[in-house]
Amino acid sequence: MDLYRRTLFKILGLTAAGSSLPGCEREVHNLVPYLLPDGDIVPGVANWYATTCQECEAGCGTIVRVMEGRAKKIEGNPTHPVNEGKLCARGQAALQGLYNPDRLQGPLRREGKRGQGQFRPITWEEGLSEWVEQIRTHAGKSAMVTRPVTGTLASLLTTMMDSLSGRLVMYESTGEQTLRTANYLSYGTRTLPHYDLANADYLLSFGTPFLEHWLSPVSFGVAYGKFRQGRPMVRGRFIQVEPRLSLTASNADRWIPLRPGTEGLLAMGIGQVLLRDGLTNLSSSHQASFHRTFSAISLQTISADTEVSQEAITQIAHELSSASAPLIMGGGPAAAQTNGTTTLILINALNVMIGAIGRRGGLQWMEPQDSPVDLANPGLASERTLMDLALEFEQGSRALLHLYRADPLFTLPPSLKFERVFDHAQFIVSFSPFLDDSTLMADLILPDHDPLESWGDHVHHDTTSVPAWSVSQPVVRALYDTKPIGDVWLDVAHRLGGALGERAPWNTFHDLLKSRWQTVLTKHDSPRSFETRWKETLQEGGVWPSTIPHHQISPAMPSVTYKPPQFLGNSSDYPLYCYPYPSLGLHDGRGANRPWLQELPDPLTTGMWGSWIELNPTTAQGLGIHPGDRVRVTSDYGSIDASVMVFPGLHPDMIAVPMGQGHRAYGRYAKGRGVNPMVLLGPNYDEQSGSLATGGTRVRVERIKGGSQLPMLEQSGKNPVLGRLQETGGL
Amino acid sequence: MSQDPQATDEYSKQAASPYKWEMVVDLDRCSGCEACVVACHAENNIRISGEEEAAEGRAINWIRIERYWEGDYPDVKVKFLPVMCQHCDDAPCEPVCPVYASYHTPEGLNAQVYNRCIGVRYCGNNCPYVARQFNWFDPHWDEPLAEQLNPDVSVRSGGVMEKCTFCVQRIRSGKEAAHKEGRRVRDGEITPACVQSCPTSALIFGDRNDPDSRVSHLKKSRRGFHLMESLGTHPAVTYLRRLSE
Repeated sequence: MDLYRRTLFKILGLTAAGSSLPGCEREVHNLVPYLLPDGDIVPGVANWYATTCQECEAGCGTIVRVMEGRAKKIEGNPTHPVNEGKLCARGQAALQGLYNPDRLQGPLRREGKRGQGQFRPITWEEGLSEWVEQIRTHAGKSAMVTRPVTGTLASLLTTMMDSLSGRLVMYESTGEQTLRTANYLSYGTRTLPHYDLANADYLLSFGTPFLEHWLSPVSFGVAYGKFRQGRPMVRGRFIQVEPRLSLTASNADRWIPLRPGTEGLLAMGIGQVLLRDGLTNLSSSHQASFHRTFSAISLQTISADTEVSQEAITQIAHELSSASAPLIMGGGPAAAQTNGTTTLILINALNVMIGAIGRRGGLQWMEPQDSPVDLANPGLASERTLMDLALEFEQGSRALLHLYRADPLFTLPPSLKFERVFDHAQFIVSFSPFLDDSTLMADLILPDHDPLESWGDHVHHDTTSVPAWSVSQPVVRALYDTKPIGDVWLDVAHRLGGALGERAPWNTFHDLLKSRWQTVLTKHDSPRSFETRWKETLQEGGVWPSTIPHHQISPAMPSVTYKPPQFLGNSSDYPLYCYPYPSLGLHDGRGANRPWLQELPDPLTTGMWGSWIELNPTTAQGLGIHPGDRVRVTSDYGSIDASVMVFPGLHPDMIAVPMGQGHRAYGRYAKGRGVNPMVLLGPNYDEQSGSLATGGTRVRVERIKGGSQLPMLEQSGKNPVLGRLQETGGL
Repeated sequence: MSQDPQATDEYSKQAASPYKWEMVVDLDRCSGCEACVVACHAENNIRISGEEEAAEGRAINWIRIERYWEGDYPDVKVKFLPVMCQHCDDAPCEPVCPVYASYHTPEGLNAQVYNRCIGVRYCGNNCPYVARQFNWFDPHWDEPLAEQLNPDVSVRSGGVMEKCTFCVQRIRSGKEAAHKEGRRVRDGEITPACVQSCPTSALIFGDRNDPDSRVSHLKKSRRGFHLMESLGTHPAVTYLRRLSE
């Protein structure tokens, strides 16, 4: 009994310890049940805390239900402008990151050879002093590869790496570098616009997987609901152009498959018809340059190369011109080719032609706003930049590698030989909370807190309709002997002293965060104290003004020449295009250690807990392959074995493989499960952006023996869950 | 789609109860993103089945996204259909239960009393929507995943049938909150986990007895239909047809 009471007091101590954890108490969160004033914890009654989702770069506002010090459920923050109270599957599964059985529970030092996976627990003091020693030994030779971070953490890491003359590389495999490059050339800004889908009445999308993982999927989901059924008399129409019928494409009114890599050509055809039939909003001064670009190739050739009929091209052009608020988006597979930037520039030009720039229901940029944090953001790196980094390690100008929640050995194709970095690095420090494929190679692991245990903030400057700055707060006390990465860097700055110590006078990352926010929250003369405003900000989950000043963009028509996509591998040995796509649940693999996401059936194939190869039924028939057969996919760079799913919505000259499986490490749910399609890809780049052309490799498929059955929700003949409704005429 | 006179009778039978919980699924909004599926697992302590059990068809989902392919390449279409327990007014699962584990609440919920259930699975056999799922084994969570479990929802042991409850725990607490203030539950105040998470707002939940609730309005839509209407189960879930060009 006594033990029970003590445990209870321990739990109570959590909230008593902090006005640091203000719950939601304001009227504005009335949508949320169980409102409680701060600090009043009653066993059996939940508190809700606002924070920010960090499962992808969108940074949706969340509220977390906490009972007796344990996080129970994550939901969208109803007042947050990005996701309006909604949350995706991956955001919900963040709880299984926090309570993951394979989380690293404290600092570790490598024993035995690199990559053997033998580590011994050490104290933080041992870990930090060894790290400081390494920084001193390899002065000026540090590098850090991190997932994209924003806000205060981004500026801290930038400051640190600057002071150490190090190099900070933020990498995200679906970071849409190509889109940023194309936008810079077309619009003069790398900031991505707000796509005002909710107010558009016609959407033409070139491959953008905006209902799956593209940029800010929940925000797009909310807008999509409004686009379809949110207005009394208007139902938006939606056309998707891409070689594989993705989840997004399956929602379209019309799916137009085309030959991979010819999206730009199709855009040229549509533009040509718009110009020919006088359907554009262009000023006469602009007309000439657009004419030059868009009339370079005849419509007949375009139709033959894209495999889209001239009638279909003309129809789209006329639909665009008759819609009152048409919108065009391009990205995803359309950008994942060697001509990605050119393709997107042509698509951007179409938006100019239909007058979508700055229009309601079109593309909008907001004025740059005062931010609580410096936007010393180095920007996202392309794969080419990572190759530069690898070269620096090879040449010895870099020696000390830091990894933060980035797993380049898993997400990059082995053909890029990024393991050079690991081979040449004298010392590798990882801050990852999990033993992922890259952290397995580390010499020292200083695991970060889970985002639900951490302070932080998030700057929304891309794709958002209003400027917003979100805050993250710890909603539960740290489970293990881990330390937040910000605290660890500040500690090291103090140990190193000198100029670095002076630039980092804060004791903890929390102090730094508050000092940053103080400047903003007290700027607008408010009679209330900073502490009051800060507490309100934490309750709200951030700050976002209600008025939206729009930024004027003067688009240009950069001179572009359409180039056909280049593929690695000749078409006689390798007759099929390979298309790896980010899985809905696992994304690029970071979700693979969460059992909810492993067991989440893929919406199109209903596959779970594994990998598969998608083939067009006709192609499969031609190769004598039946559904469920085991096949080997081979390219010039590697091969994978998996079972076949016949996929009716796939270009016949193509195979598609979901990404996210095939980990060598990353815990019990991910390790050794399925295959990683990245092993097939060769080093093929989009020249202008330096991005890897993930659609730019050719493969062949052959049947092999053996194999095991992939779990599927759809079980024909055995447990007919699906199909029964259709048979009985339910639909 | 059609107004069934019998269904109207059902409502009048239940007029004594202040609430009649119903759901509307707008297929023109549903994108198939499966946010609802994970939300449901998190809220309702649904077991993690694992690869082997999933391969046997024993993975448990209270809500699932069914997808239907139509046509051949290139004229191929996919339709998504979220399916959960339809909370039928004339539920085929109820009369077959020998121990009254499956019964109808006055508020129109098709309830499953876990500690009455003896696992004969007659209800599961009789459910045309395959909404009921059986626990062949005791559930297991690798530590510390169980820290996440929702204390408002009981964990089901092996040998018990389970299914969607419309998040009855949320309905209860919503009703309690309203009762304390001496009022009826407001429309939108109670949201099951799937409805709460749905990015496109394809799922709508509310009180059919409130003529002004969104559910009552949407039920009258000309796009409305029920799954397997011909069976006469009178489901509490109304689907709104997806439009096409």
